[in-house]
Amino acid sequence: MPFPRADEMADLALKRVAASGAEYADIRLLNSTSQTISGEDRRIASIRDAEDSGFGIRVLYHGGWGFAASSVLSLEEVPRVADLAVEIARGSASLASERTRLVDEPVHRDRVVTPNRIDPFTIPLDRKTTLLREVMEYMQSQPEIVRSSASLWARRDRKLFISTEGTRLEFDLLAVQGEFTATARYDGRFASRSFATPHLRTGYELIEGANFMAQAPRIASQAVEKVRAAAVRPALYDLVLDPEHLALTMHESCGHPSELDRALGYEANYAGTSFLTPEKRGTFRYGSPDVNLVADNTEPETLAATGYDDDGVACQRWDIVREGLFVGYCTNREVASKIGDTRSRGSNRADSWGSVPIVRIANIGLEPGSASLDDLLADVKRGIYIEGHGSYSIDQRRYNFQFGGDAFWMIENGRRTHMLRDVIYHGITPEFWNSCDGVADRDHRRRYGFITCGKGQPGQSGWMTHAAPHARFRRVAVIKG
Amino acid sequence: MSTPNTKTWPKLTNEEEFRFLADLVLKRSTADHTVVNLHDQHTGTTRFANSRIVQNVDTRRGTLTVTVAFDGRRGSASTTDFTAGAVQDALARAERIARVSPEDPEYLPPPEPQVFQTPLTSRPETAAAGPSRRLEYANEAIGQCRIENLEAAGIVSSSVASVGVAASNGLFAQEERTEARFSLTVQADDATGWSAAAHRSIDHLKIQDRTLSAINKAKRSRDVQELAPGRYRVILEPAAAAGLWSWLLWMLDAKSYEKGTSPFAGQLGRQILDERLTVQNLPGHADLLGTGFTSEGLPSEDAVWIDKGILKQLAYDRFTAKQHGVKHIATLEAPCVSALGPVASKTQELIKQCERAILVTNFWYIRTVNPTDLTLTGMTRDGTFLVEEGQITSAVRNFRFHESPLRVLKHIDALTEPVEAVTSETGKMLVPAMVLRDFTFSSVTRF
Repeated sequence: MPFPRADEMADLALKRVAASGAEYADIRLLNSTSQTISGEDRRIASIRDAEDSGFGIRVLYHGGWGFAASSVLSLEEVPRVADLAVEIARGSASLASERTRLVDEPVHRDRVVTPNRIDPFTIPLDRKTTLLREVMEYMQSQPEIVRSSASLWARRDRKLFISTEGTRLEFDLLAVQGEFTATARYDGRFASRSFATPHLRTGYELIEGANFMAQAPRIASQAVEKVRAAAVRPALYDLVLDPEHLALTMHESCGHPSELDRALGYEANYAGTSFLTPEKRGTFRYGSPDVNLVADNTEPETLAATGYDDDGVACQRWDIVREGLFVGYCTNREVASKIGDTRSRGSNRADSWGSVPIVRIANIGLEPGSASLDDLLADVKRGIYIEGHGSYSIDQRRYNFQFGGDAFWMIENGRRTHMLRDVIYHGITPEFWNSCDGVADRDHRRRYGFITCGKGQPGQSGWMTHAAPHARFRRVAVIKG
Repeated sequence: MSTPNTKTWPKLTNEEEFRFLADLVLKRSTADHTVVNLHDQHTGTTRFANSRIVQNVDTRRGTLTVTVAFDGRRGSASTTDFTAGAVQDALARAERIARVSPEDPEYLPPPEPQVFQTPLTSRPETAAAGPSRRLEYANEAIGQCRIENLEAAGIVSSSVASVGVAASNGLFAQEERTEARFSLTVQADDATGWSAAAHRSIDHLKIQDRTLSAINKAKRSRDVQELAPGRYRVILEPAAAAGLWSWLLWMLDAKSYEKGTSPFAGQLGRQILDERLTVQNLPGHADLLGTGFTSEGLPSEDAVWIDKGILKQLAYDRFTAKQHGVKHIATLEAPCVSALGPVASKTQELIKQCERAILVTNFWYIRTVNPTDLTLTGMTRDGTFLVEEGQITSAVRNFRFHESPLRVLKHIDALTEPVEAVTSETGKMLVPAMVLRDFTFSSVTRF
């Protein structure tokens, strides 16, 4: 239960909304607890412990949506919020040229709990701050490292979802992440190198398994090597991308265009639309036959694997791109029917009790191929190997992208030779994915994800995981950043 | 359309109530120093797409944050529950954290009690605006677009917030802040046009004018040609210029400057931009979103950041300021870029002056490419045009730019008076439209 009397509040709200004549309503009651520890330049700069509780009521009245939410947790506040949600929905319906209809979903009654070995909120704070201080101290004791940062983050969401259709879902979800960065200065330039665990739904065992202190020497020395490295010479290069880097490339160039609300124009005023318009489904060659992009919201520990989405739809696994062909979208109960689907893919999520759920990118990942990383490198005469995240930007229909990275190595005659700096590559999404001619095998598969995916007005932060092995792309345009 | 229903708005935490909540914490705290921050906000947004309402929301969220310190060891805890027990629990959590935190060598006690200016941060018409007022404005924009047989997508939002800071040394500030926003993307088949506004007063959104502007841009964007990437003279409309200015101003962090990891390293007191350009903070300006104080309890005041192209100010945290003997910390929440000397009155005048240039309505997805020289990238969006012999001759496919504002703002060919500018990714500022030479477009997209 997110907080005392949650069931009573839900019951009061839904009865009141049902009495208004609304055809559908749901309520989400949520208590989020988060702890963020941030270090900067050897010191612990802040430790924040946040309790965020509230409820949001969503109403569909004569085909028009209304949503109202409040952090005031009282039985007196519930009728005000419920009535406001109905009033807003009535207003929407009064201007509706088309009635919103929801595709069917079975009624679910379930409880979802994140399995974990070590609850991150039980770890003594001084153990966490000592870890961050030691890793920063180590890095800044290295020559030419002038700045450092390190952080740990954990969040627990206790949520109750109840709909007028009879679905009742309880959630107790965890997520954890940690990272650190070293910044080196040389010859008037500066450059950073980072280590980050993925954001995953697991316990503190993720941080313990990452072994920050074992990673720190590599990160510090690579920051120095990077700032001293030669700048890249602009040209066409073959690229071999690591899983962490690919997570961002997939997110921007595949994830967002596969959101059906974007393709239908819902985000036209902000996040943008999509070049993957509905008539392309089943016919458009998005990538080469090596490219299989699968949405999997059922894989344990991944961010979007929450059992059910905020429509109360069960999480699923489905194809987005199959052997290079675009075949599937991320959908919710509202937009699914607009492309003839009879069931939502369960990708409707809100970032808090105060936000209305919107279509979100699923856990979209690149399916493994059969190569090893050495195989991918061996067939490159002159290329660049890229790890991690750097600069990123993409147009509002997701055609023209540009990415940097965190670390770059020259590949010459099949071998990684030396680091480069200021590498930026750009291209057009389907041309880029059609240039993919090799994907590493399952042993190389790693999972990374995001909790800051911006979309919607008011803005919301989406959470999703993108898994991939290494992959190779031919003759990509590289410029100097 | 019904009249605004103000009775549905709950009362936000007022000054007296904030003093009561703060006292619940301050009187019970055992820490050396204690600070309480309030942010209690009620906000509503009506969102439309494909010329119909797709989202219509209203959220009340109050957050109280308690920060305490024992011997320079600090902890912070927040709650959205304003009952006495929950507020005191936030204090207990903050104290527990602080007691086991390492000492922060940069810790400073809260600022002494300050005298704050009282800019007009709240407008009653915005505070009273509810769902029906937002719906009315959305309907006005949609209706205009329907007349032209065009599709409308956008938002109308209004919010009112009670913001405060109180500390154990007597520091206290509280004010109400309102904000209204309108933005609209008009779709004419594959072409788009855009306009946006933000203001303390919902009466100043100028829905009709901005809708017509977006419609005009969408219609002009229909006949599009592709130009090769390269260096072009550009006319940046205020929103596009604001995108570059925002990144330049965000990078003025003093700590990075002092540690040599800033693109401005060594440039304080030196000419960094065209000598006609001055950047000020003007929190009292009626068309800016100024505030009376910062979250730390420092006063927001008028300040000159760049004076005739010379860098005069950095964004100091309190520790770095003390370390470097900076007594007065300037803020920059209400930026105004103004120009010295003769200027054009409107963007249209700039267009007339150009033999050949690219006119940019807005930039999108601007990100840093190289933090050392502040090279940025981003896309043109929602109205990019070729100007020839003083007039717009066609729309052009959107470009990606790859450019440093520190390079291109060193010489401005021409500019206008500062006007209101809002982008989808930044706040609000007053900024001139500008003509810049040799602006680098590195690639072109498919539309």
